[in-house]
Amino acid sequence: MSAEIAEKPLVAKPAEPLLSKRRKKLVTDPLIDDNPVTVQVLGICSALAVTTQMKPTLVMAISVIFVVALSNFAISLMRNTIPSRIRIIVQLAVVATLVTLVSEFLKAFSYDMYKELSVFIGLIITNCIVMGRLEAFAMGNKPYDSMLDGLGSALGYSWIILTVAFFRELWGSGSVFGVPVFEYVSSLFGPDFKLATNGLMVTPVGAFIILGLIVWVQRTKTGYVEH
Amino acid sequence: MQQSNTYIIVYSAVLTIILGLLLSGSAQVLGPWQRDAIALDKKKQILGAVISAEKIAGMTPEDVKAFYASRISPIVVDISGKEITEGGITAEKVEIAKDYKKPAEERAYPVYIFHAEGKPDQIESYIFPMYGAGLWDAIWGYVALKTDLNTIAGITLAHASETPGLGARITEGKVQERYIDKKIFDESGALIAVMMQKGEGKNYDSDAHKVDGMSGATITGNGVNTMLKSYMGCYEAYIKSKTASKAVAIL
Amino acid sequence: MELFNLGIRSIFIDNMIFAYFLGMCSFLAVSKKVSTAVGLGAAVVFVLGVTVPFNWILNEFVLKEGALTWISASMATIDLSFLRFIMFIAIIAGIVQLVEMVVEKFSPALYGQLGIFLPLIAVNCAILGGCLFMAQRDYTLAESAVFGFGSGFGFMLAIVLLAAIRERLKYSMVPNGLKGLGITMLLTGLMGIAFMSFMGIDL
Repeated sequence: MSAEIAEKPLVAKPAEPLLSKRRKKLVTDPLIDDNPVTVQVLGICSALAVTTQMKPTLVMAISVIFVVALSNFAISLMRNTIPSRIRIIVQLAVVATLVTLVSEFLKAFSYDMYKELSVFIGLIITNCIVMGRLEAFAMGNKPYDSMLDGLGSALGYSWIILTVAFFRELWGSGSVFGVPVFEYVSSLFGPDFKLATNGLMVTPVGAFIILGLIVWVQRTKTGYVEH
Repeated sequence: MQQSNTYIIVYSAVLTIILGLLLSGSAQVLGPWQRDAIALDKKKQILGAVISAEKIAGMTPEDVKAFYASRISPIVVDISGKEITEGGITAEKVEIAKDYKKPAEERAYPVYIFHAEGKPDQIESYIFPMYGAGLWDAIWGYVALKTDLNTIAGITLAHASETPGLGARITEGKVQERYIDKKIFDESGALIAVMMQKGEGKNYDSDAHKVDGMSGATITGNGVNTMLKSYMGCYEAYIKSKTASKAVAIL
Repeated sequence: MELFNLGIRSIFIDNMIFAYFLGMCSFLAVSKKVSTAVGLGAAVVFVLGVTVPFNWILNEFVLKEGALTWISASMATIDLSFLRFIMFIAIIAGIVQLVEMVVEKFSPALYGQLGIFLPLIAVNCAILGGCLFMAQRDYTLAESAVFGFGSGFGFMLAIVLLAAIRERLKYSMVPNGLKGLGITMLLTGLMGIAFMSFMGIDL
């Protein structure tokens, strides 16, 4: 089969260490230089709706890491058997199964989070990062590499949404991970001093603006310019 | 690489079976935990009307279950205030959200009676569930009335997706505390309920039927008002029958 | 009247983009020109309008707890809702394919305009999101049809407006780092503020 021939050069180096330079790059590249959110403009959809608070965002991030890494791994294992004509639906089926597992698991062991994230867990299925990595990497690479690639992309995504959530929770609700930071800081300056929260931050508008600014900072640093 | 149709069909069939087994297997295995989690969540919400959220948060799942079992005795009534016992109906089985879509006459209405530990006769308060619409989506809650079935002992409110920081504040203890000691009926016994007002920061201590609002969340507040009034209306027959029988007992 | 209210809400207030961030990927990628934005928007309206009621039927008669009672009363306790994600996404992919074939057969002109967008739509979060919201909120069939079309129009409105702004944006001086995604996000935020003024409309 043609796909196997194509990867021959990789198979020729069996002694590659578990975390070689090339493999580390698979994980670290998507963190900054090739970030899926700010550079590739993928997976913004379902991410922002949950970023009003840090806690659900963290759960969301972990779920995405799990789904992307494992679906990349699974599809890469199956890549030589998948009929090309039904490729997309096979990928969707695998992803949907993994997402269902995550959602069932949350429902059983963390019902509060399940309620809070509601439909947005399901929307990981259509998170473009998942399908994007499957098509672009897992279909043509070996399972372990694919898993690392998925891990990298999902981590790149995670730190962006956690950053957005940090600022939105801090300015919007005056807390971080539910800890009332603003209240504490205000109390340091006496009883009449009160740090005000900004209601705009908890609305969707806040998410757009924060993300826009993060993109600006990040792209200025990396020098990436979109035309 | 172009596969034959047979290969594709067999492949999809095998994949469907594997994924199907995986999913139904996990649903089977996790099912008991899930049902447990849902039941526990409901119990926490019911108790939320009579004990503070911090106290509930500090309780382990076992504590909650034990507390619930020893202090709450649920019954189900219909719109005319009669207790429903036939058909194996229990308060735990009634789903307020599903019943909400039915006409008021056809719904079943659970009442959770909160009593002193081990003494079902010594009633402390009556807890009534309620359900309605907020700004974006559903809101629901439980209101506890003292033994006069008029004064609010506590209220707990929850929502599906109200605006965080605005309408979602109905879940905050500070907002819910405002309802305590307010009255549902006026002196003549007419149903007034308690109305959350527009705007925030005013003092409504002197008015038994008004509470301070949440700034920027008037519509959610209106939703809470409508919900409280309509469900109190549905329970009115039950409440009236209780207070009437109590009046007789005093005589 | 209820339905009309729901329609208005789903277009302006519960807007897929501004309130739920759904369909952001295509919203950002296909909003450079008004004409393509109209094409994608129309395709989304169409697919959402068809799939939401269709998935409603699936949910009501197969997936929901006790949905199988129409086969036999003994199946009242069966709850297949754990299959919801996979069935919904399969139906969406199937319908998108079907729509593509039907449009190609009967209206080649329309296919020429919508054709390239249709495959994109199968993995558009707005479609799956619409279906999941429908299931979560327990809509009736009529409500889900109205909600589907309404959300579709909401998405179309948002993307066409953004495309119109971005066409003008070519003539402005945008800092390098903000070009593309950055400025688009900020624009979307500003448009969101404008849409917030619809909040609380109740007809």
